[in-house]
Amino acid sequence: MKIKSNDFNFYALNVFIINKLKFMKRKIPLWLKIIFGMILGIIWGLIAVNLGLEKFTSDWIKPWGTIFIKLLKLIAVPLIFISLVKGVTSVTDITKLSRIGIKTIAFYLASTVISIVIGLFLVNTLKPGGTFPEEKRKEFQAQYEQTVKEKELQAAEVKERSPLYIIEEMVPDNIILAMSDNTKMLQVIFFSILFAIAMIIIEPSKVISVKNIFDSLNDIILKIVDLIMKFAPIGVFALLAALVTDFAGDADLFLALGKYALLVCLGLVGLIFFLYPPFILLFTKIKLKTFFRAIFPVQMVAFSTSSSAAALPVTLRQCTKELGVSEGVANFVLPVGVTINMNGTSFYQSISAIFIAQVFGLDLTLMQQLTIVLTATLASIGTPGVPGGGIIMMVIVLSASGIPAEGLALILGIDRPLDMIRTAVNVTGDSAVACIVGHSENELDYSVQKNYSS
Amino acid sequence: MVLGLIWGLIATKIGAEKFTLHWIKPFGTIFLNLLKMIAVPLIFVSLVKGISSLTDMSKLSRIGTKTVVYYIATTLIATTFGIALGHIAQPGNTFPDEKKAIYQQKWEQTLSEKQQQVEETESYPLKFIEDMVPSNIVQATGDNSKMLQIIFFAILFSVAMVMIGKKSDAVSEFIGSLNYIVLKIIDIIMKYAPIGVFALLAGVIVDFSGDTDIFLALGRYFFTVAIGLLLIIFIFYSAYIKIFTNIKLIDFYKALLPAQLVAFSTSSSAATLPVTMKQNVEELGASEKVSNFVLPVGVTINMDATAFYQAVAALFIAQVYGIDLSIGQQITIVLTATLSSIGTPAVPGGSIVMILIVMGSVGLPVEGIALVLGVDRPLDMLRTVVNVSGDTTINLIISKSEGELNYPVDKSTGTES
Repeated sequence: MKIKSNDFNFYALNVFIINKLKFMKRKIPLWLKIIFGMILGIIWGLIAVNLGLEKFTSDWIKPWGTIFIKLLKLIAVPLIFISLVKGVTSVTDITKLSRIGIKTIAFYLASTVISIVIGLFLVNTLKPGGTFPEEKRKEFQAQYEQTVKEKELQAAEVKERSPLYIIEEMVPDNIILAMSDNTKMLQVIFFSILFAIAMIIIEPSKVISVKNIFDSLNDIILKIVDLIMKFAPIGVFALLAALVTDFAGDADLFLALGKYALLVCLGLVGLIFFLYPPFILLFTKIKLKTFFRAIFPVQMVAFSTSSSAAALPVTLRQCTKELGVSEGVANFVLPVGVTINMNGTSFYQSISAIFIAQVFGLDLTLMQQLTIVLTATLASIGTPGVPGGGIIMMVIVLSASGIPAEGLALILGIDRPLDMIRTAVNVTGDSAVACIVGHSENELDYSVQKNYSS
Repeated sequence: MVLGLIWGLIATKIGAEKFTLHWIKPFGTIFLNLLKMIAVPLIFVSLVKGISSLTDMSKLSRIGTKTVVYYIATTLIATTFGIALGHIAQPGNTFPDEKKAIYQQKWEQTLSEKQQQVEETESYPLKFIEDMVPSNIVQATGDNSKMLQIIFFAILFSVAMVMIGKKSDAVSEFIGSLNYIVLKIIDIIMKYAPIGVFALLAGVIVDFSGDTDIFLALGRYFFTVAIGLLLIIFIFYSAYIKIFTNIKLIDFYKALLPAQLVAFSTSSSAATLPVTMKQNVEELGASEKVSNFVLPVGVTINMDATAFYQAVAALFIAQVYGIDLSIGQQITIVLTATLSSIGTPAVPGGSIVMILIVMGSVGLPVEGIALVLGVDRPLDMLRTVVNVSGDTTINLIISKSEGELNYPVDKSTGTES
């Protein structure tokens, strides 16, 4: 008896659907769980605010979020050191290493400059500061006067140093001290590269035992990351719930700063969808859908933790496992990017600087705007990983271009939530460059990508 | 020890305090520093070794989980019991209040600093768990007061090792090697112990101005610990046996006796192990397969008496110095004592290092350890007896739950029935 083709298709379709459903019931992918966690967190936060449950949330829920961040930070330094050494040593050819290094820095600089320019363009055309009411400006300035003065003092110290200070800062004088300080990642990176280069140069048989231990440690650390990520949905739930309750009162702030906040938020999101796709399409063969699918968990963790360093384990994992970037490239490009490449932050700085200028009714010359581009670029490279470090850099950017630094008072209030979006953009940029460098070195394994068809 | 005592008393009588403090006490401090120095490496290395060695028994994973859970549970119970007993018996509070005030003055500066610190950190209930997670492991390793964080990381690290299996071999070997080295270092340090103890005790006596009241307190402490340990054997363990197995208590204690005697004289659970196993398998009918796993693991991991002892010792020292411990601190003691008893190697001197750790984690003045060092040895013998009894108890419970307990044992054929 002939099976009619229609019946067969129908049958096949049913089997397919049933299998898919079975599969989904058994294994909800991690990124989905993270989204659930975030949504539930926001819902909880809103309910808590309405029921006056802020203190309860702060006491009983927020700690889990803090623990999650601590876990990620805990593993960050060992991860950077070990995976960087493993990655660099896997590139046995020194010329290839320097080629990767140069490409990485070039792409990072390029994307940073482009972000700043886009920011300048947007803020000059849309002029969010033009319609800012005078009384509001005075009000903010009075509120934040103290903080701004402190930051100005700190910024003055920073300006005293020579421009080469950044390079000086990169070299630790005690590696244990550097490793024990989560803000000194650049020093750890420096040492790791030095260590790894030494390993490459020495005859292999002499370093084999260290190499074996590092390989082993690498596996252990990645496993620890796995374990920590299982906790992620709960962690982001707690983080977002706490954030909503903490910032409940600031809804009015958002309204007052309306146009500015909107511009920054939309602009940052826009960067994700309009800046990187051209780069990806131009320089790699990765399908956009694949890229964003893979990066999504990273963005979510970055968003919830406001820390590229904390998100690093996830970034590494997604880039190597789901995008196929080789460990050698990823282990070098990504940790460096955490410290050096902050597209979102520099975009934000350029917009904020011009916004403040507009509120104060200042017209900026071309020279001044170029200065902004320059200082914002340098600032994003040198921004220390401390909370509030970005603000010190803003002071420098502002004063270098002749804009009154007191204007910072205007934007200090909503810095935190914007920081979350900025971080998400930063990690997206890091990942994009990792893919680009990987592809250009032929170290991108397309076969691991889920939607790839050659 | 005795010499130190005598010296201290003589010194106070003839006014040689300053001499003692300048020329003798430093050696005691050196001894303490040596022990503290080895504490962090010891805890990390032996914990990781201990937990990751469970991987060899992965095919017995159900038994493995039960073992670990029961061991930890009994240890927690023992530690809490220690704290309770310390409160009830108040061994350190035989000091008349005026004397306590004098000592308090000596330590007042440090004490008030600590108290200020505690008050400044606004506390919320879960902060305690939050504090257990370090945000930078190198920083935690650099700070002797952050033991709980180091322990947390060690557990996380070794669980990951176990989950990876073969790939972590290089690190396993390395840690195994380190373990031997650390134990050897402890050996060497302990050779210096007589001098160190002499100096410490002399220093303490001089510090306490030759006060003989301290001996009264020590005596009470000794009895508190001894009675507590006996209670554990006769009340806690018999309760566990009665509830979870069908073994008659008389048979249990009869079979246990030889092992307990050996434990008492050797002060070493490891040395007693052969006897323990024999008694378990031949006299009480536990299966060989289960015993071969549970008992050796218990030698390393399960030390109810040690944990109990650490809790009581910490409380005693706090009471002598007139320090009030908050609930949070007491919970820290329970946790640190439990977790560190897992890491305590079965060697003499190991438990002293652990007491330092427990004390450090709640900020007690470490000089206080001199007080308990004197009576440590005899108590160690008792402690080992209890530790071994605990291992046997759990072994029997697990055998029963696996259906592998052949009790009563048929003696007529000389094998299990």
